[in-house]
Amino acid sequence: MATETNQQTARSTRFRDRLPDHVPMHLGLLAAIALMSAPLVLAVVMSTQTTTEVYQVTNVGIGSQGLRNYAAALTEYNFATYMLNSLVMSVVVVVGKVALSLLAALALVYYELPYERAIFMFILLTLLLPVPVRIVPLFQLMADLGWTNTLLALTGPYVASATAVFLFRQHFMSIPDSLVETARVDGVGPLRFLFGVLVPMSRGMIAGVCVITFIYAWNQFLWPLIAVTDKSSQVVQVGIRYIQGSAQAGLTQWGLIMAAAVLTLLPPLFVLLALHRPLLETFAIQQK
Amino acid sequence: MSTQPKPFDSTRQAALLLLPTVVVLVAFLYYPGLETFRLSLYKTLFLGQQTTWAGLGNFAELATSTAYRHSFLVTILFAVVVVAGTLAASLAVSYMLFTVDVGSSTYLVAAIWPYALPPAVAAILLNFLLHPNLGIFTHYLEAFTPFTLDWFNDGPQAFAVVAIVAIWKQLGYNIIFLVAALNNVPETLTESAKLDGVGHLRLLSKVYLPLIAPTMVFLVVMNTIYSFFSTFPLVDLMTSGGPGDATNFLIFKLYRDAFEFSSLGLASAESVVLFVLVAVLMYVQIRVTEGYAHYGA
Repeated sequence: MATETNQQTARSTRFRDRLPDHVPMHLGLLAAIALMSAPLVLAVVMSTQTTTEVYQVTNVGIGSQGLRNYAAALTEYNFATYMLNSLVMSVVVVVGKVALSLLAALALVYYELPYERAIFMFILLTLLLPVPVRIVPLFQLMADLGWTNTLLALTGPYVASATAVFLFRQHFMSIPDSLVETARVDGVGPLRFLFGVLVPMSRGMIAGVCVITFIYAWNQFLWPLIAVTDKSSQVVQVGIRYIQGSAQAGLTQWGLIMAAAVLTLLPPLFVLLALHRPLLETFAIQQK
Repeated sequence: MSTQPKPFDSTRQAALLLLPTVVVLVAFLYYPGLETFRLSLYKTLFLGQQTTWAGLGNFAELATSTAYRHSFLVTILFAVVVVAGTLAASLAVSYMLFTVDVGSSTYLVAAIWPYALPPAVAAILLNFLLHPNLGIFTHYLEAFTPFTLDWFNDGPQAFAVVAIVAIWKQLGYNIIFLVAALNNVPETLTESAKLDGVGHLRLLSKVYLPLIAPTMVFLVVMNTIYSFFSTFPLVDLMTSGGPGDATNFLIFKLYRDAFEFSSLGLASAESVVLFVLVAVLMYVQIRVTEGYAHYGA
């Protein structure tokens, strides 16, 4: 008996020695990723189920609703409108923020500018003012401007950004002087310099800022909840709040709610998967 | 910074280029930010119809309010749990990602996807999957452990469930930065430790952690701010601050005081408290990062 156990341990040690060190790491990673993704996978499966099927708790088969829950969410529960509103808001914020921040960074890096340091600090200090710190006056301001329930209220407060100006400034400063010198000798104007020289050299950085901004804007919840009360102008995150409330007549239609949740997740997830490389590079620079 | 003269010198043009950014920042950030401070010195009566000077009365009210003090304490406790949980979990995943060399980019994308996850979606998925009666997670949790999940009525359980969702959503962001930091550690510094056959846990805690400390500090600050603000959708969609006041965090209380009870002055004072918390955190981060920069360079 004893010898047999010894042999077994010896064999298993030898097996472990032969096993590359990273096999347990692969298994650990697969387990971690499975755990992180399980809620999403289950949500997708259950978004195809009828309410009766959902109430059979351990039923994890594809349901008999097919894509009908998605169709119902988009039409009867207005998610087509919410998604479109979210898309318009996010695209306006992305374009506005990138454009404004490129112009500001151009001025900060390539102009002989008095008080350059102070102006940069003035921009950076706004990092201390996230929405919750100014939410009451901002809400009142929107009411005073007559912007409540409009795209202006959803996008205006987001189109300028300390982070984007900081990132573009860092990137411009890393562009070799020789290129700038050539541009100066050629006597190109500032806007041609921006679009002809800087933007082509900053494609990765601009793509990264676009991804970060798109995901950030798309995922906003608190501000749209306050600034928009009219359902037809509302964004999809608050739409989630509505559908959770309205799908509860009688038995809660969780299949329908899961379909709505999956729809809400798809655009930012798609953007992340498509553009993860520039996103990672941009974050790497932000950290330095 | 380059020492050579800059290509453009028209101050007027520079001002024009800066103008849009400055206008937006002044109108929508500085003005409302300062207005928050002014409003915090007034009491609002009759659902916001009338305001009277209150001096520091709102702050005194917050300091003596049991509900606010409770909210402050659960917010800090929540931040501690979320920051510690997020960093522990994402450090484990990041270290594994850093160690494997086959397929690491596929793994990376599969591990950072929660960065794109909207908090509202995170909340609603787990509302269902952890539902006390209908949730499949609840079913197996109760089948294999002695737990009974009753977080609609049980305060500590509700707190834990919201914390788990908050951690889950924040993993992607943390893994992005931790993997980058681990990849930046010079291999020469870690080779000898690897040759000596030091175990993974010791290698991580004794060799890597000290080297990626600046990133850890950065993430502690970012995760704390995240736990203060970005968890509003979780509370709103999962617990509405309850049961009792178990998840009535500062941001949720602020929202209610401002937009349900129209106590705009009081809510502004609550915003000022949040501002102070953010300012202290940012200051700590800058000081620590500078310290490391001087030390490292």
